Amino acid sequence: MATTLEEQHLRAPSAEEQRLRAQQRRETQRRWFWRIAGYVTVLGVWELVSGWVLAESLLPGPTRIVRTFPEIVNSGRFFLSFGATLTRIGIGFGLAFIGGAVVGMLAQSRWFSNFFRDAVTIGLTSPGLIWALMGLVIWGFKPQGWIFAIFLATFAIVTVNVAEGIRALPKDLLDMAKAFGTPTLRRQREIVIPHLAPYLFTALRFGFSNGWKITVLTEVFSSNKGIGFEMRVSSQLFQLDVFFTWVLSFFVFALILEKLILQKAERRFFRWREDVSVA
Amino acid sequence: MATATAVPRRRNPVMLIRSPLVARALFPVVVVGVWTLIFYGLESQIFPSPARVLDFMWNEVRLETLARSNVYQTFLLSLIRLFTGFAIAVVVGTVIGLAMGLSKSVDAFFHDWVMATLAMPALVWALFAGLVFGFGSLGPILVTAVTGIPYVIVNVREGVRNTPRELFDMATSFGVPRNRMTRHLLLPSLLPFFFAAVRYGFSIGWKGLVLAEVFASDRGAGWMIKYWYDAHRAYAVIGYAFFFVVFALFLEKFVFDRIYARAFRWRPQAGTVEVVEEAAEPSVQQPTIP
Repeated sequence: MATTLEEQHLRAPSAEEQRLRAQQRRETQRRWFWRIAGYVTVLGVWELVSGWVLAESLLPGPTRIVRTFPEIVNSGRFFLSFGATLTRIGIGFGLAFIGGAVVGMLAQSRWFSNFFRDAVTIGLTSPGLIWALMGLVIWGFKPQGWIFAIFLATFAIVTVNVAEGIRALPKDLLDMAKAFGTPTLRRQREIVIPHLAPYLFTALRFGFSNGWKITVLTEVFSSNKGIGFEMRVSSQLFQLDVFFTWVLSFFVFALILEKLILQKAERRFFRWREDVSVA
Repeated sequence: MATATAVPRRRNPVMLIRSPLVARALFPVVVVGVWTLIFYGLESQIFPSPARVLDFMWNEVRLETLARSNVYQTFLLSLIRLFTGFAIAVVVGTVIGLAMGLSKSVDAFFHDWVMATLAMPALVWALFAGLVFGFGSLGPILVTAVTGIPYVIVNVREGVRNTPRELFDMATSFGVPRNRMTRHLLLPSLLPFFFAAVRYGFSIGWKGLVLAEVFASDRGAGWMIKYWYDAHRAYAVIGYAFFFVVFALFLEKFVFDRIYARAFRWRPQAGTVEVVEEAAEPSVQQPTIP
């Protein structure tokens, strides 16, 4: 049997195989062609609309943004702003992640899952704007204000993902642990948390993608530094090229963090587990 | 003997507290309790008591307001904008989503840009719309549409891909005409995804809309809460936030749950399809090499 396998491996690819390979190659080529066509079309239309349909001061084209980018980097506020915004995300979303995960874990008990049900629904459906304004009107520019807003706008996303993991808990393992009288805390540490790890990762990703948006929103209303602050100032001064450059540079940064770093880390982290499908 | 012990158990107060309904009802009680504690602990001039907020809301409901439009007018206007903007999103999103689901080339063409729009904060559109369109209804409606479109696209595309292939193959080999195939195959398997898209797109559109109303309008729910914020009436901001919550719950429970129940009467498990919240990686269907 082994020899036939080896033989198959060594012998020249059959006509059928070659045909399929060629087809596959064509498929990939066509995909890339259309993908590049998409980029060219969108960027081209954007460039043309700026200056022809809308004034360039109103909608700066992509080339203009590329030219403005070094300006804001050299302005000296670039790293300060990124740092300020990332600090806010770190504190606000960090607390929301912990809070949301705890609430999600509590959902193992039917009582608590009912207790928090409406809180989660409200957290998911309400616009972040109302929390931002509420925190601001109560606490002013103090950190409690934006922590309040970021917390309430993002904890529910974490809770929902963790609760999803709770629903998929290996019941048999838990039953066994209970039958052998394993204490609750140890059950959590050795069964629940390892099982939940991939769900926590997903929660982190979804939460982050919502978290940075609400953070920027709180900065628009109540900050003197950060991306949101720069967005507010530049839009008030009608410098839309600066506005878009700030927005897009943070946007690209957040996308890289979310799609490349977090997603890759997730895949790497759970490579050893076959049952985990990374969403 | 057995019956004698079983009957009084139902009246046990501990059992009553442990019932799920009581747990759910206890949540608002705890919130108001904590709020009252903070109110007395803080002794702040700004932070309102629950009674003050309730008083404000009651006055609003009775049409006694200091603002220039009452709560019904405000939310009705926002609702009209939301429906208009979202109708645009559904039409545009369905067309692009169908095309992306049916053709790999179209999918490759749009994919990265759909993903980018999906991740773009509504705040950006809102600020931009304010500068381009000024204060009015056009800006908020377009922002609602732009925030909703990528959600509709992604879910409709997923629905097309989810259509069972074998059924398509069978229909083709039995020579079923294209319009009947669309009617009996594509639509039924698309519908759950479509509804998921509408539901979540709607709530995303709503979040975009209120932001647009702050920056690109002089009326509507978003503008109104900003108005009370500018007037430094904390009780009014919190009161209006509660109206927002009530409004969202109303949409969820009375509009969407009803539509769901009607649309999926014949297929109870279909209403539970998972919504797609991010664009999946472009999957090239590789022909398997033997």
